[in-house]
Amino acid sequence: MVDLLHSTIWRHRAVFVAFALALFFLRLLPLGTVAGTWPGPDLMLCLILAWVQRRPDYLPTPLIALVVLTEDFLMLRPPGLWTALVVLAAEFLRGRAALTRELSFAMEWLMIAVLMVVLALAYRLAFALALVPQPGFGFAMVQVLGSIFSYPLVVALSRVALGVHKPAMGEVDERGRRL
Amino acid sequence: MPEDYARPIRRILVGGLVLVLVALFLLWRIDSPRVERFRAVLIDRLVPNFDWALLPVTKAVGMIGSFQSYASLYEQNQRLREELQQMKAWKEAALQLEQQNARLLDLNQVRIDPKLMHVTGVVLADSGSPFRQSVLLNVGARDGIRDGWAAMDGIGLVGRIAGLGQRSSRVILLTDANSRIPVMVQPSGQRALLSGDNLPAPPLDFVENADLVRPGDQVVTSGDGGVLPAGLLVGQVVMGPDRRLRVRLAADYGRLEFLRVLRSHDLEPIADPAGLVAPPLPGPGLIGPLPLAPAAGMAGSGASDG
Repeated sequence: MVDLLHSTIWRHRAVFVAFALALFFLRLLPLGTVAGTWPGPDLMLCLILAWVQRRPDYLPTPLIALVVLTEDFLMLRPPGLWTALVVLAAEFLRGRAALTRELSFAMEWLMIAVLMVVLALAYRLAFALALVPQPGFGFAMVQVLGSIFSYPLVVALSRVALGVHKPAMGEVDERGRRL
Repeated sequence: MPEDYARPIRRILVGGLVLVLVALFLLWRIDSPRVERFRAVLIDRLVPNFDWALLPVTKAVGMIGSFQSYASLYEQNQRLREELQQMKAWKEAALQLEQQNARLLDLNQVRIDPKLMHVTGVVLADSGSPFRQSVLLNVGARDGIRDGWAAMDGIGLVGRIAGLGQRSSRVILLTDANSRIPVMVQPSGQRALLSGDNLPAPPLDFVENADLVRPGDQVVTSGDGGVLPAGLLVGQVVMGPDRRLRVRLAADYGRLEFLRVLRSHDLEPIADPAGLVAPPLPGPGLIGPLPLAPAAGMAGSGASDG
């Protein structure tokens, strides 16, 4: 029984890492070498927020930190800052998982959208405070909008393909404990 | 009972993690070269392992793009024919110019730097971020690449090496917001700085006299600062929609597959002022310090005088 429980959790963690690696791989492909194209959505962020919102036990904080820090290093971002923000955001959602469990999807989406905008603004604020040159405001906001609009897609896909969903009332895990 | 402690302990641990991450960011801000070196090593470890997959997938996506262009095959064919006609005229002009150039070089007895050789690398990966413009090459310190060397495609300058691993090196493209290249605008000889701004055509900054620069002028590297060799083709001046002078780059940024890294050897700096320009030293017999024996004789004669 313990093996079963752990196998579900660990399987999802493995899927998360595999998804992250595939995403890094796709983004590293030397296809978009022309400057000035619109930035795409930050799927990694969508996935982390969606999973933490649904099943916080699938994504322990060290795993999130490790994956996002690797992303920071690979994608030439200043290391650490974005990771810290994502960890904080995940912690914020994790702490309120019990409260937000009853929210309708629309409200959840709104909350996530506000959270994403706050993250982007905090990121830019930290850049400005550290006097680091940063891309244009509009550019960054396009990325945030893209992330907000792809959030429902990520949620739907992880529900259909991977069965990541909010535990229903009285749902029990494989060991028979309440979720 | 453990529930009571779990929450605060968790808070402390997560707070500590966030502090460490922010400290990492501050460390990067304060001592960027060291952290960037670590980043180069990390990328050097990770990315070339994907080598076997990166190249085929890139090629496959490129092939899909080519298949899509079958739809417009007829128009493309017509356009290519027209371009070919124009190219023939240009080819004639180029041949004549080449001959003329060879004659002029011969007349002037110009010696072209024989040390300007290149290493060709394959583009492995790009920066992965829409806000940074750089590519990763599969040649690195192992192949003798050094920081600061120029990278070109067949035609024009693409960028310069910034970040070096054992097996890979990063080329920061001219369009990146951190790229600054000293250039010269050709017929007028105006010097300027080409500073990338994440747009396809980077602007020209600090032009000495902007009135002398016209759209259509050729832009080459000036070699100021001694990092890049002089005279590499960069592109053409265009007037941007924001009325700034911009440069349309000669290199084909949509299709960066192979890049040449020019080995530019260290310029020998001329540090100390020139030595005294004097006629060649004569032999010791003419002027020189007097030999000891006559001096002793003089002293002896003085003593006999006194």
